[in-house]
Amino acid sequence: MLPEWMKQTDNYVPPKDGGTFAIKTIKTIGNIMSRLKVQAGHEKKRHIPALVKLIGLFVMIVIASACQNRIVILGIAAVILAYLCTWPAKDLWGVLKPPLAASTLAFVLFVPAMIMNPAGIPNNLIVVAKVFLCVTMVTLFNHTTQWNHVTLALRRIHVPGIFVFTLDITLKYIVLLGNLIQDLLTSMQFRAVGKHDKKYSSIGGVMGVTFIRGTEMNEQMYEAMRCRGFTDDYKGL
Amino acid sequence: MNLIELNNITFRYNNDETPVLEDFSMSVVRGSCVIVEGDNGSGKTTLFRILTGLSFPEKGSYIFDGAEITKNYLKDNEMSKLFHKKIGFLFQSPDVMLFNPRVYDEIAFGPRQMGLSDQEVEARVEDCLEIFGLRELTDKAPYHLSGGQKKKVALASVMSLNPDVLILDEPYAGLDKKTQNWLTQFLKELKAAGKTLLIATHSSEGLIGTADEMIEIE
Amino acid sequence: MHIPENYLSPATCGVMGAAMVPVWVHAVKKVNEELPKEKIPLIGVGAAFSFLGMMFNVPLVGGTTGHAVGGTLIALLFGPNAACIAVSIALLLQAVLFGDGGILAFGANCFNMAFVLPYVGYGFYRLFVKLFGGNESIGTGKKLVAAAIGSYIGINLAALCAAIEFGVQPILFHDAAGNALYCPYDLSVAIPAMTIPHLAVAGVIEAIFTVVIYAFVMKTSPDLTYDAIRAERLADHPAEEKGSHVPVFALIAVMIAATPLGLLATGTAWGEWGAEEIAETSSGGAPLGYTPSGLENGWSLDVLMPDYTMGGVGEVLAYILSAVIGVALLIILFKLISIPMKGRDTVNAS
Repeated sequence: MLPEWMKQTDNYVPPKDGGTFAIKTIKTIGNIMSRLKVQAGHEKKRHIPALVKLIGLFVMIVIASACQNRIVILGIAAVILAYLCTWPAKDLWGVLKPPLAASTLAFVLFVPAMIMNPAGIPNNLIVVAKVFLCVTMVTLFNHTTQWNHVTLALRRIHVPGIFVFTLDITLKYIVLLGNLIQDLLTSMQFRAVGKHDKKYSSIGGVMGVTFIRGTEMNEQMYEAMRCRGFTDDYKGL
Repeated sequence: MNLIELNNITFRYNNDETPVLEDFSMSVVRGSCVIVEGDNGSGKTTLFRILTGLSFPEKGSYIFDGAEITKNYLKDNEMSKLFHKKIGFLFQSPDVMLFNPRVYDEIAFGPRQMGLSDQEVEARVEDCLEIFGLRELTDKAPYHLSGGQKKKVALASVMSLNPDVLILDEPYAGLDKKTQNWLTQFLKELKAAGKTLLIATHSSEGLIGTADEMIEIE
Repeated sequence: MHIPENYLSPATCGVMGAAMVPVWVHAVKKVNEELPKEKIPLIGVGAAFSFLGMMFNVPLVGGTTGHAVGGTLIALLFGPNAACIAVSIALLLQAVLFGDGGILAFGANCFNMAFVLPYVGYGFYRLFVKLFGGNESIGTGKKLVAAAIGSYIGINLAALCAAIEFGVQPILFHDAAGNALYCPYDLSVAIPAMTIPHLAVAGVIEAIFTVVIYAFVMKTSPDLTYDAIRAERLADHPAEEKGSHVPVFALIAVMIAATPLGLLATGTAWGEWGAEEIAETSSGGAPLGYTPSGLENGWSLDVLMPDYTMGGVGEVLAYILSAVIGVALLIILFKLISIPMKGRDTVNAS
């Protein structure tokens, strides 16, 4: 029953094609996933409540952003960097990579302004430094805090249930749909053995299927909630 | 000559203490059929990730068709395309393999990539529709088919590339008896045609007599 | 498009955040009316979809790639009100979990990408659907053209808003010498710098991303689009047909017009600088732009350490802190060097 061509071995020579969007996206989403997983990282050792940390983070960012006093900014930098020194080497890079990228970008963006107006350089550099500090604080927070502890804390201070519920399922779906996108792109990559002329329709397919699957999963989840006694009372979640 | 050779492979995820695979070796002769058995979490998935070039072992080497498959080797666009052309992989869940708006386009994706002429593409797709019994579904959205139909479309979309090696991850899962029997028959014919088969399955009864080797992973 | 921390003054961030509150209230109210109960958790799907969509590398010419925001697409699939909430949540997670876009700048980012973008994009989509022949029954092709136009206009207006937010910074927030404290580019630089790339590249990416996905969903599952949900609702409540979004568009118009004014008003009221410094300003230089006199007083320690009120104490403290920072940086550097590149990769990858 096999057709002739399937019984033979193709003598195939692949063409050159530079498209790497699928690989790039697989990598980007892979990084997101690993960062969502890494979250458990350091939490076990130190037991500062997640909510305290979240509020602390917010206050520190407000101070760092609003404050024009160089001494205060130097102080914050000293504390953060000294704290980072106590971290094991293997975790450092993960914490420092995002702020380094963000502050480098800020620096590059500000170069023309520095050239046009040299007198503004100190202020511009302060902004770059602040970008570094703020992003470091955020990544530090993330490497030491599990997100479900934050949502738990939000519930405890009576943030509306529907909001916390939505945050929780959003994170759940980011993982589920993110894995789906990665698998779809991987299987596409396996079959993309030549010139990919219809990249855009493939993207439409990958994200379209992801959307459809997401809505389906949602229906199933709602039914499962109903089965467990949920009565459309989102306030009480 | 061995088509696939894994030599003393060790692999672990993210600096985990215990490796998923440790000092693991196997070899597959061209044209043979190998069945891989192992419980959930035994490293079967990892093995397939290594074989398909998604993961790379920290120790040991993977030789495919005379070339060592490394991260650098697959960075070369042409090498990686040729590698994927030769190795067809059927994912355990067909859902992650279907992203085209019509069954026809799904099967035609591979041949179109290969730069075949329109007639050749059509011939391949028509043949696939025929042998997989998908004729009535030609214009349907793959996504809305039943589980068994999806699996058939997914397999057809791999077969239309005519790979030398076919790796199947639990191909029987979710199929009814009739489709299972059909699949066994199809795999036997592939083997007879000289294709190399690597199959992970819990239900290998149908393939006894076809399989040249059973590998168990612990 | 994600505005990072510290490019905007905290005052601007506060104003933008405050502007979002009525928008969120409106959106939540509308979603409760529009969506059947079983679709409420769908907002989470929308947020996750939006989050992941922003991660997607869309190919451009010659192997390069760019990212779309997808605000209009979310509006086409989930409705503009649900899109507003979904994109806001996606932005919140990006800011808090990944430091992508500032936490303080969250309000501003929401204003541009969760408010202006989806509502404007969806509004133009509806407008063009109407121009192309009225109701829901028009062909898929025309709807896709409408979606392309809507998403293109949507993202460009959002970029313009971001440009204005950037551009007012040096006008409103500068030190005694007239040097910008936050974003150093005024409107004349910020607007072209933001809008030209968006008109030329990012807008195209956004339109492509929107159209290809919308086309796929309309082809394979047309019942899942917001158009279908809306048609169903209109069949039940024909009275809702007209004008359900008019108040929102009025709100957008008023806000876009008023925001720069609001920023101007609050900017001076908040006063990023102390009372003494304001006094200095009179001899320092004109409040707008930079002046040579600012330069003349400029390059002394006063500029690097302008908190001269603290005098010698400040200087000593600064040296001590600098020493701490220097030592800490060295230790971190050595630690980083001590792990081989391979180890670094595994920390980050999968």
